[in-house]
Amino acid sequence: MKIERVDLAARLNEMRKQGYTYLVGITAVDYVNHLEIIYFVRDLAKNTEDSINVDLDPSDAWVPTITPHFKSADWYEREVGEMFGIEIRGRRTDRLLLEKWNGKAAPLRKNFNWNEPYETMID
Amino acid sequence: MDTRTYDRRKTLNSEKEMSLLSENSLSMQGTKPNAIFATLSDAAKMISKGVVRWSRKNSLWPLQFGLSCCAIELMDFGSARIDAERKGYLFFRGTPRQSDVMVVAGWITKSMAPEIKRLYEQMLEPRYVIAFGECALCGGPWWESYNIIKGVDQILPVDVYVAGCPPKPENLVSAFMKLQKKIGGGVED
Amino acid sequence: MSTRINIGPVHPSTHGVLRLLVDIDGDRVESVEPHVGLLHRGVEKLVENRAYMQNMPYMEKLDYVAPLSYAEAYVSAVEHALGIEVKARAVYVRTVLLELQRIASHLLWLGVMANDLGQFYTVFMWAFRDRDKVLRLMEETSGARMFHVSMRLGGLQHDLPKGFEDRCHELLTYLEKQVDKYRNFLEKNSVFVERMQGVGLLDKERAIALGVTGPVLRASGVNYDVRSNNPYYAYDALGFEPQVRSGGDCLTRYDVRMMEIEESIRIVREALNALPEGSALGMPIRFALQAVQERVSVVKREMPRGECMMYLVADPQQPYRLHVRSPSFANLSALSEIAKGCKTADLFAILGSLDIVMGEVDR
Repeated sequence: MKIERVDLAARLNEMRKQGYTYLVGITAVDYVNHLEIIYFVRDLAKNTEDSINVDLDPSDAWVPTITPHFKSADWYEREVGEMFGIEIRGRRTDRLLLEKWNGKAAPLRKNFNWNEPYETMID
Repeated sequence: MDTRTYDRRKTLNSEKEMSLLSENSLSMQGTKPNAIFATLSDAAKMISKGVVRWSRKNSLWPLQFGLSCCAIELMDFGSARIDAERKGYLFFRGTPRQSDVMVVAGWITKSMAPEIKRLYEQMLEPRYVIAFGECALCGGPWWESYNIIKGVDQILPVDVYVAGCPPKPENLVSAFMKLQKKIGGGVED
Repeated sequence: MSTRINIGPVHPSTHGVLRLLVDIDGDRVESVEPHVGLLHRGVEKLVENRAYMQNMPYMEKLDYVAPLSYAEAYVSAVEHALGIEVKARAVYVRTVLLELQRIASHLLWLGVMANDLGQFYTVFMWAFRDRDKVLRLMEETSGARMFHVSMRLGGLQHDLPKGFEDRCHELLTYLEKQVDKYRNFLEKNSVFVERMQGVGLLDKERAIALGVTGPVLRASGVNYDVRSNNPYYAYDALGFEPQVRSGGDCLTRYDVRMMEIEESIRIVREALNALPEGSALGMPIRFALQAVQERVSVVKREMPRGECMMYLVADPQQPYRLHVRSPSFANLSALSEIAKGCKTADLFAILGSLDIVMGEVDR
């Protein structure tokens, strides 16, 4: 179901209390006019699953973090944030998930330039 | 970072190495060689060349360096069907300081490249590299990726290339035998 | 007072290229931080530039221990998006191949984990010899040991060769005896049992909150298996039963996987006896493209390591976006929670029992 960004954290918390306790994954798609970020949650007792879609504007791409509600969302959020350049607000750590990247380019966006001199940070 | 260029010719052919060694030792002694000494030293040179060549090529110890899919075939190479130990390529060492050969199996990302270079420099000379699998040869199926180095020979000097995706373990046995021939001076590089 | 040690990318016991930064205090681990991404090649970006069937080699190299499962999941997602039905015989043949792949993958896990724990090199040698026999049987169907690009839309590239069923039945009787041998060897060995019992405890609520999947989840008492909850192919018809234990430590996860091998042997046997007649061939690679029926297709499969979800946004000729949610990613993200407070040597027991393959974590 499609919801707005302002309702995101509250809606997911509500679903968690209703029984959707298992987070399957978080992913995102870059339709050129807008970004869509998708959360998949599952109810293990009733064996049902639901997906929550949020539309984002590419120039204003941020979502609040849902790690207070779902502990397993940590790595998924970091991966989506790095690959798409979406800022996840409210997170504790700033370290990138992928080793030795400097976070300047967002590879999975459609406007990623393959020929850019791609810098990696070497420690 | 070590910025020496790697001079393969010096270390690959044990014949040239032995002659270099004996030349250096003679010049350090400062004596003029006479005829008996010359024949004795020639005989000693030949015997020691043969012994060194034989011992180096028959006990190659690989470094366990499997990065990805080709590592599964590397593990198969070391296990019961194609036994690597019976030909002298003993059980894979965990540390580069004790090994002769580095079998690079798997694709190399830009983050991993400095680590590979560091491992190669930690190996003691004479050291050899076998590029195992398509990804180590030329980048393989990930040719167009933004994070892949197109072949390990962009950062290391490679002695034997093995093609395949993944190559069968029998191919690796054949590659080791070719390397042995190369060390023994049979194949001109 | 804690020291930070770096269990680096090249280590005999990390499965692939994984870097762990461990804070230890004496012998106790205070925190573990896995650094991943050293094998990242951008598969999700690369598949956007190729036609559907040209992407098969990319998908197989994600999980290189059980490549057929990923190939089949991808082909299923494309079939779902284009509205192509799988032929009846191909359904059973795919089930047979998938379960054989699961046996091969669990054998590799067993060999590598036993090797990590105490140099049980015997088990490593036996497991690889048996895995080699299974791979040689699968080589008969497609010609390659590891990366068979043999899945096609609607079926397979080649049907099972003549005499495959007899050879397979022989292999299955052999494997049943071998599984008993492994259990006898390992479960009576006090080194193995003491290193695994009570280590890496994970109870039911924590397992669900941390988002682990596969045998790790089933060893904590949660009855979830994609093959029984959302059945696909022939699992429903063959009466598949998931193996669930409550216990939550490494020994239970070992037990679950060994029981899964036995369950797979039973499924293969029954599927071979129930193969329908007909053709199992799918469409050739250059097929006339059909229109996209559903733009977004989500397919869930049970890999040997857990549950994988493929999210495909389909364009007429090529994928617009493919997301792979791999089971090892979910299991590895839980490592820092599971391994808090354990001893240093138990870290490798936990890592081995989670069964991680770095190719699918980094993609």
